[in-house]
Amino acid sequence: MRISIDHRLSFTPPPGTGQAVFHLLLTPRSGPTQTVESWSVEGPGIGNAGRFTDGFGNAAHLVNQIRPEGEIVFHVRGEVETRDSHGVLGRPAGEAVPALYRRSTELPKVPAAFKGDFANTGGTRLDLLHALMAEVGAALGMPDQAPTQMQADGGQAQTSADEPEERPMPADYAHLFIGAARSLDIPARYVVGYRLADDDEGGLHAWAETFDEGLGWIGFDPHQQLCPTERYVRLAVGLDADTAPTLRAVPAIKDQDLDHRVSLKSVLTSID
Amino acid sequence: MGENTPFDEMYNADGSVREPYRALSEWLAEQPEKGLALMQADAEAIFRKLGITFAVYGSEEGTEKVIPFDVIPRIIAANEWRKLSRGIEQRVKALNAFLYDIYHRQEILKAGRIPEKLILNNAAFCPQMMGLEPARGVYAHIIGVDIVRVGPDEFYVLEDNLRTPSGVSYMLEDREAMMMLAPDLFQRSKVAPVETYPENLRRTLESVAPAGAGRNPVIAVLTPGIYNSAYFEHSFLADQMGAQLCEGQDLFVDGGKVYMRTTTGPERVDVIYRRIDDDYLDPLTFRPDSMLGVPGIFDAYRAGNVTLVNAPGTGIADDKAVYTYVPEIIEFYLGEKALLNNVPTYNCTDVDQRAWVLENIAELVVKEVHGSGGYGMMVGPTSTKAQHEEFKKKIIARPDNYIVQPTLALSTCPTHINNDVAPRHVDLRPYVLVGDEVRITPGGLTRVALKKGSLVVNSSQGGGTKDTWVLED
Amino acid sequence: MRMLGRTAQNLFWLSRYVERAENMARLLEVGYRMSLTSRREGGASEHLISMLQAAEMDEAFAERHDVADVDTVAYFMMFDPTNPSSVYSCLQAARTNARSVRTAITTDMWESMNGAWLEFSQIKPRDVRGAKLLGLLQWVRQRSHEFRGALLGTILRDDGFAFLQAGNFVERADNTARILDMKYYVLLPRSSLVGGEIDIQQWTLILRAASAHRSYGHVYHDRYKAHNIADFLILRTEMPRSLVYCAHFVRDNLNLLAKLYGRREACHDAMEDMLKLVEGTNMDQIFAHGLHEFLNDFIDRNNRVTDTLSASYNFY
Repeated sequence: MRISIDHRLSFTPPPGTGQAVFHLLLTPRSGPTQTVESWSVEGPGIGNAGRFTDGFGNAAHLVNQIRPEGEIVFHVRGEVETRDSHGVLGRPAGEAVPALYRRSTELPKVPAAFKGDFANTGGTRLDLLHALMAEVGAALGMPDQAPTQMQADGGQAQTSADEPEERPMPADYAHLFIGAARSLDIPARYVVGYRLADDDEGGLHAWAETFDEGLGWIGFDPHQQLCPTERYVRLAVGLDADTAPTLRAVPAIKDQDLDHRVSLKSVLTSID
Repeated sequence: MGENTPFDEMYNADGSVREPYRALSEWLAEQPEKGLALMQADAEAIFRKLGITFAVYGSEEGTEKVIPFDVIPRIIAANEWRKLSRGIEQRVKALNAFLYDIYHRQEILKAGRIPEKLILNNAAFCPQMMGLEPARGVYAHIIGVDIVRVGPDEFYVLEDNLRTPSGVSYMLEDREAMMMLAPDLFQRSKVAPVETYPENLRRTLESVAPAGAGRNPVIAVLTPGIYNSAYFEHSFLADQMGAQLCEGQDLFVDGGKVYMRTTTGPERVDVIYRRIDDDYLDPLTFRPDSMLGVPGIFDAYRAGNVTLVNAPGTGIADDKAVYTYVPEIIEFYLGEKALLNNVPTYNCTDVDQRAWVLENIAELVVKEVHGSGGYGMMVGPTSTKAQHEEFKKKIIARPDNYIVQPTLALSTCPTHINNDVAPRHVDLRPYVLVGDEVRITPGGLTRVALKKGSLVVNSSQGGGTKDTWVLED
Repeated sequence: MRMLGRTAQNLFWLSRYVERAENMARLLEVGYRMSLTSRREGGASEHLISMLQAAEMDEAFAERHDVADVDTVAYFMMFDPTNPSSVYSCLQAARTNARSVRTAITTDMWESMNGAWLEFSQIKPRDVRGAKLLGLLQWVRQRSHEFRGALLGTILRDDGFAFLQAGNFVERADNTARILDMKYYVLLPRSSLVGGEIDIQQWTLILRAASAHRSYGHVYHDRYKAHNIADFLILRTEMPRSLVYCAHFVRDNLNLLAKLYGRREACHDAMEDMLKLVEGTNMDQIFAHGLHEFLNDFIDRNNRVTDTLSASYNFY
C-alpha cells in the first residue's frame, strides 16, 4: 500500500528566547516493512541542520534558531510504500543490539499485579506475547472505547488532579506492554509512527516491538489489539516515549503546546 | 596482603635505607634544624601566591583552602615504574575496548562474562552512545588510576577514574614547588619530568579532533564555572595548553556545529575537554534542567562535528560494581592476564558473602557504589562500633549499593610532621592520556594521609599531596 | 587566540566594580565629614541623604532603615550585601569577575584583587566606627589604586587592556556626572549672590568627592566659585575625573579595539556621540542649555556606550 503523509508540527517558543535548539526524529527509514519513496522535512534551520543517526538507529536532525520570533512550523511530507508482514520486521541492519531493549527505564511502569499473570502462561513465546497484548487491552480498555488518534506524540494520559478523566493513549498501551515484556526478560521497544485507519483517516500513533531469536523484531499494537499491518509507517524507535520524541527542544515545549496536524491518504500508484 | 606492618617505602625491615631513597636519606640528614619547617612555610606561601586552592563543599564562598603539601618527595625506582606503567597501559587499553564493545555489539555480555543486567540497567550506561564511532575508537582519553602499594613488588588498583578525573594540576604544581624548594636534591637524582603533561594533553586532544577539523584544531576546556571545586585546575590546564576556558554559556550549536562566542563573532570549536558530568552536559539529551551545559552539543558530537573528551557514558567502565570484572575484561579483549592486581571485592547481594561481610565488618572497608571523594565510605579498623552497626544496617537495606573490600595495609612514606619525619600512608594516582598513543606521565599524584594511622588520603578528609619522583636509570 | 565575549565582559566589569568601590568610599567619606561639621539640627541626616541620592541609593536605603545616621548609612554603603553598590558587593563582584578571567589577567592583578577581597571580607562591621571608619575608607581607595597600578604596570596592551580601561572610565564618568547632578543647583550662576557659608560647604563636598579640593587651587588660583568648579569637573582635560578626561580615555580604548579588530562598531558611534557633548563647548553654553539637562544627557550617552559595547563585542 502506498501511504501519503502530510504532518505539520507547530509551536511558539517563549518570548525572549535567545536560542532554540531542536532534536527531530521525523525521517522514516526504509526497511523490511516499508520503502520510503519520497520524503521532505521543511522548517527553519533545516537547510544546514546537523544530520546523524541516533543511538537507536533513527535518522535525526539537530536544528537551531537564534532569537526565534512567533510560531515555528516543521512541515513533513512524503510517500511510503508499505508491505504487510504480519508484524514481523526481522533484523534490519544498522540497529542497536536487541539486548539494549531489556534495559528498564522510568516510563513503562507495570503494576505488580499485572506481571504475575504471565510468568506461567504455557505455549510459545508468540502465544505469550499475544496473551500479553490482550491483557494490556483489558487493563486499559479495548480499542473501540479508546481514542484512535494521539493528540501529541508521547501522549501519555494526564493523571493530574485538573484532568482526572483523561483516557489512556496509545503510548500508555505501548508502555505497559513494553514494561511487562521486559519484566519477562524479553527485549521490547517503543515505536512512534503513523497509522492509517480503515476510513482513510489516521495520524500519529505509538506501538511496541519485541525481539524473538527466531523471527527478529515483531510489532504489537496493544491499543488496536493487532500486529502492525500495511497501514503502519514506522518513524522512530526508542526505549520509551522519552527516548523517541518526534520533537524535543530547549527551551522545553510541553506536549499540550505542541500542535500536530497529520493527514494520511492511501494513494493508488499507476501500474505501467 | 593485609599484613599488620605496612610496607615502608624508605626503610627495610632491618632499618637500612632502600636504594631509591638513598639520596633523599642523605639530603634529609644534612638539613639544619627547623630546615624542613622553613621549607614547609615557603611551600605554603608559594601555593597561596599561585592561587592553587580548592573549594570545600558546603563552606562559604571565598573560604578556599590550599591542599597541604608535604615537602618530602615520594620516590619510585625506574624498574618499579616500568612494571606499573605496563600494567596501567594494559588496563586503559582493555577498558577502552570494553567501552567500544558495550556501545556496539556487546560481545562480552553475549559471552556471559559479565552479567548483562549489571551493564544494561546501570545508571552509568548511556544508551544514547550506542553505535557511535568515536575518533580513533577512544572513549576515555584522560584517565586517573588509583593505585596502592602493599609490598616491595605488590601493587593493587583501587579504582579507575574514567569520567573527569581531577588532581593533575596538583601533580604539576607540586613539582614546580619542589624544584623551587629543593633544587639541590634534584641535582643528585635523575628525576623523570612531568612538565610535559600539558603538551601531551594538547597532542592527545588534537589527535582525536573530528575528520573535518583543520591542521590546528580549536580546543576548549568546558568548566561548570568558578564555583566548582576544581575550577582552579580547569583554568590552569586551559592556560597551560593555550586553550580557551569556556562555560556552557560561551558555547552554542549552529547548523549542527559547535561555536564559541568571541568578541569578534562565532569561532568553530573542534575538541571539547569537558569537566562537566554527563548528566549536565546537554539539556537537550540529558538532564533538561541543566544550566551548565550546551543544548545540542551531544547531537553535534553524534553528527561527527565535534569531539567530546571524555566521551559520555565512560562511567560504565569505572563503576564500582564493574570494577570487580576488570581482570575478566583484560582477558576477554587482550587475551592476557592482568598485570596489576584488583583488590578482592565482596558482593553483598550474594547471601553467603553478605553474611561473612556482616560478621567481619570491623576488619573491612565499605564503599558506596556511586560514592566518591571518601564520602559514604567506612574503614572498619579505624571506625567505632556505632559506625560498624550503622553500615551493617545500610548494607542489609541496600546490598547492591555497597562493595566491601579487605582493609589494605597501604605503604608508608617519610612525611614532614611538626618538624620531624614520620611514616604516613600514601596512595598514587598516575595520569594516563589515550589518543594516537597511550601517554603515561611518570609518577602522578601521591596523596598522603597526614593523620597518624589514617588510611583516608582524600583532600576533603585531611589528606595532603607529595611530589612523586620516578627515577630514571 | 580570540577572546570570549564573556571574558571581555568580565574584564570590563572587573574594572568598573573596582572603580565603583573606590567612588563609594569617597562619597561616604564626604558624607561623613559633612555630617560631623553640620551645625543645624537634623543637618547630618540631610547631608547623608543627599549623598545617598547622588549614588541613587536613597530609595533602597529607605526600604531598610528608618533613620539616616552615620552608623546606618556607613553599614549600608560599606557592608550591606543586599545593596548591590556597597563596597562589599563591589569588591565581591570585582573578585568574582577576576576569578572568571583568572588567565586573562596578570598574577599581580589577581593577587591585588584577591587580597583586597579576602581582607575586606574578614572585617566585622561593628568594629568599624569613627576614626576606624575613615581609616577603612582610605584603605579602600588605596586598594583600588594598587589594583590600577598592577594593571598599568603588568598587562599587555591588547584587547583585554582596552576592555579593562573602558570599564574603568565609563564608571568614573558616570560617577562624576552624578556627583555634579546631586548639587547642580549650587553651581548655577546667580547674578547678585556671592557664595554664602552653606554654598562653600556644598562646593567643598563636590570637590572632595572628586578628590579635587586641593588641585582646584593649583588650576584656578582663586577661591571656590561655582562656575570654576563646574568647569573643573566637566571640561578640564588635565583633571583626571572630569567628564571630558574620562570621555577621551573611553575614546582611546575603543579606538584601540577598532584597530585590533580591524573594524568600528556601533559602540564607536555611541562614543563619538558622548564626546560631542563635552568637546568644543564651554560652561556658558552648558549653563544656557541647562546644567541638569546637560548632565542627564551625558549620563544617558555614557550608558549607551556600555549598551552598544556589550552588543558589539558579544557580552551577555
